[in-house]
Amino acid sequence: MSAAVPVLLDIRGVSRRFGGLLAINEVTMALEAGVITTLVGPNGAGKTTLFNLITGYLAPDAGEVLWKGRSLRGMPHWAIARLGIARTFQDLRLFTHMSVEDNVLTVMERSSWLWQPGGRRAERAKRARAAAILEMTGLSDKARVRAIDLAYAERKFLSLARIMATDAELWLLDEPASGLDLPSYERFLELLRSKAREGITVCIIEHNFDIVQRISDRIVFLDQGRLIADGEPKAVLADPHLANLYFGEHAA
Amino acid sequence: MIAYAMNLATLIAINAILAITLNFIMGYAGIFSLAHALFFGVGAYTAAWIAMHVSADFFLTVSGAALLASLLSLALALPALRVREVYFVAASLGLQVLGSTVFAEWKSVTGGIGGVIGIPPAELFGIPLSDPHAFLALALACLTFVIAVTYGLVRSSFGRSLTAIRDSESAAAAYGKNVALIKTLAVVVSSALCAVAGALYAFYLSFINVESFVLDTSILLMAMVIIGGTGTVLGPIIGTVLLLLLPAGLSYLSFLPHTEIGSIQQMIYGLAMVVLMIFRPGGLVGGRSLGERK
Repeated sequence: MSAAVPVLLDIRGVSRRFGGLLAINEVTMALEAGVITTLVGPNGAGKTTLFNLITGYLAPDAGEVLWKGRSLRGMPHWAIARLGIARTFQDLRLFTHMSVEDNVLTVMERSSWLWQPGGRRAERAKRARAAAILEMTGLSDKARVRAIDLAYAERKFLSLARIMATDAELWLLDEPASGLDLPSYERFLELLRSKAREGITVCIIEHNFDIVQRISDRIVFLDQGRLIADGEPKAVLADPHLANLYFGEHAA
Repeated sequence: MIAYAMNLATLIAINAILAITLNFIMGYAGIFSLAHALFFGVGAYTAAWIAMHVSADFFLTVSGAALLASLLSLALALPALRVREVYFVAASLGLQVLGSTVFAEWKSVTGGIGGVIGIPPAELFGIPLSDPHAFLALALACLTFVIAVTYGLVRSSFGRSLTAIRDSESAAAAYGKNVALIKTLAVVVSSALCAVAGALYAFYLSFINVESFVLDTSILLMAMVIIGGTGTVLGPIIGTVLLLLLPAGLSYLSFLPHTEIGSIQQMIYGLAMVVLMIFRPGGLVGGRSLGERK
């Protein structure tokens, strides 16, 4: 990790407690621009909680999160999103009763007021961009279908289409590939790689050993709320203790 | 007979505005308000007060009524931001009860139980609208305006934001939606347009009292929306027409004893509502259920 790579997101000594459970315990890590970081660890390690703390859905009890050097403390959830931090959800949370196209359009619409700036020209540009995103995610012919009526793999791709529409510089992906069939899965990985090449910084929670190996530039290992390893995939995956702790049943 | 039909048409137009504005927050923002009659009342009393003390100009009274209703609607927006669904229903119920009591007790403005009498006819560009034909035309013009505004908003980016919040509030916020602002705007727009119906009502009857603005009215409005189809454009209009024509239609059935029509009507309402919710939970127009939300 060279010093030339700018740090996009800096997590400094962040802790979060739920009652008696220390879900995140003094985690310090940095996400560097253009790097794909994979967050691994057993269930309950605190991976999703960490996403919730970064995006402001939860507030840290201690420590702070900095975005391009600026503290996010006290900022509302939606305002942090607008800085350029977008996430997906493990349970997708699509806008179920809206059409596929509207799901994509609505995340592009940043004004909360009764109208959007830019008039018809901006409207046309927005629809053209939505169409391009649906093309890339293979959802073009489903544009008018309600999200709730999509098949499982299509829902996963809509979740991805939605994050593509955000203009965010940092993507936090919560198990985006789980449950995909093989062709969908390959298409998904290809899409993710091409977005990373375009300069998107990605932090991905993943359980699938194959994905972890194929896309990670860096692996961060969480266990019981603590960061226990952080480094190049080869080094982390080679550590027999970690492999046993987590990949034991998959790797063999 | 014509006079009777015109009266019914005018009342349908006014009630349709109420149902459409309620549907705007119920169907698109997921805010199930039992306090809609409160803003109807605020609109009516404000319009009556302006007409009797300042000027009966329709645009002036409607603007005043809409403005005051918008401001007071923040009292509804506040709980709507804190709690959802059944908890909000309870909060709005409290607000409605509070409002009805103020209407009944604030005698210097609302006339208490006796109400406000002698509201002058509305004036359009200085000409009093005492002719019922002209008034019906005005009511229909207002209805068209309200339909145009709400339909326009629902189809716009604002409507998408509302629906996104209704479907998944956490995801909407995670994608940059200022949930509090958007919900507040929805409540303000709904209440302001609802006050238009209040102003029309005050001018039409030239007499208003608290009985029109109590919980019963809020419940009837909610029934109109649900029966017609929550979250649809035509639903609230169809619901209004049905619920207002039903009593009128029943009174034409000569074999029914006239003294019992009220209770027969209630029984038919009740039964229709139960049957409809079992077979078409989305309402007559909606059809599909709005369930499976997250």
